[in-house]
Amino acid sequence: MKNKIKNPFIDSLKQIAINQDKASFKKIFDYFGPRLKSFLMSSGAEESIAEEVIQETMAIIWTKADYYNPKLASPSTWIYTIARNKKIDILRKSRKAILENIDTAILPPVEPKLEEDVDHDQRFEIVNKYLNDLPKEQLDLLKMNFIEEKSHGEIAEITKIPLGTIKSRIRLAMEKIRDRIAKDKEISDLKIKSQGIN
Amino acid sequence: MLNLMTQPSVTSARLLFQQCVAASSTEGNSLEFIRNEISGYLLEKIEPVPISKDLWDNTLTFIDSSKKIKRDLAFDPFYNDLPLVLQDFLSTKKVKWKNFPDVKIAKLTPSFESDKLELIHVMPGGSIPQHTHEGIENFLVLHGSYHDEYGTYKEGSVQTRDENHNHKPTGNLITGCIGLAYSDGKIKFSGKFSKILNFFNN
Repeated sequence: MKNKIKNPFIDSLKQIAINQDKASFKKIFDYFGPRLKSFLMSSGAEESIAEEVIQETMAIIWTKADYYNPKLASPSTWIYTIARNKKIDILRKSRKAILENIDTAILPPVEPKLEEDVDHDQRFEIVNKYLNDLPKEQLDLLKMNFIEEKSHGEIAEITKIPLGTIKSRIRLAMEKIRDRIAKDKEISDLKIKSQGIN
Repeated sequence: MLNLMTQPSVTSARLLFQQCVAASSTEGNSLEFIRNEISGYLLEKIEPVPISKDLWDNTLTFIDSSKKIKRDLAFDPFYNDLPLVLQDFLSTKKVKWKNFPDVKIAKLTPSFESDKLELIHVMPGGSIPQHTHEGIENFLVLHGSYHDEYGTYKEGSVQTRDENHNHKPTGNLITGCIGLAYSDGKIKFSGKFSKILNFFNN
């Protein structure tokens, strides 16, 4: 097994899940709070809405940390997804769900929970590596699209890059990552017989 | 399965089913999943914006108060485990649940359509009686897991069952199972009491 630095927030989430550890929760709050605020405001939320979303997102992290599965997503992806759904939720004024509303796409399978051997999960590393190597201009397109939630048309206007080029660049980046993950999955599927996917 | 996903959505049942599969896929290769991975990466690189000093205390207070409110809320707790597209759909409709001892079933699409979509909630450890299918059924697991004669199936997986299968799906002992069934035919009970069950199913 390769020797690499584990994402410290995986451990923080685990500490919250197992020990209701407030210090770990504070660590996540201090790191992700300001970043979520940046994301929420750059995608058009007002400051007060942004902080409301952060508050509800953090409440979910505190109460649902045991649902976090490092094999399915990195902590930042999990937290981002919760926050994005919360934002949609709050903007829709559908306030029925206070703590329960977690997107099923990231709600991991029920068992197993909190496994020790996260090291063999390559997915985040693949995404990281690909994006680290991506030219800044291309990364900016992804940022405008996903974080600032601008349409392809708006991005074309801002960057003066033709719309078709923007579409194909964004799509290409996603497909490249998908293919790399799929390739990695194929390898691990040879080891683990997959079930139930027709 | 692949066939179903690439076919144009002719009926409302099929469209909603396709959307739910897209939203729930745990295969990790759907573009929505990749989108979130990229966004998670970008979230770490973003320039932080300072948050209000009292947000931490407010959050702790909010968590405490939500615990109390949660108990009073009179809504179906499972609603929140469903894909957003399905929540949206359900919020516009009045869904009638049929209650059986181990299972709750809600038909989501109108009866004049030839195919149908049903939300199925199998209680923890509960079973649907032994049956086979007259048409083809695609079943998407939305929450928890279940097992039958052919395997164990978790969230995000889709199974296809037809006349060649004869099974008794049983919900996970702890979580039970919630799923969405898209089918173009009836089920036909084949085990104990099948005559009575088929009578009521017609």
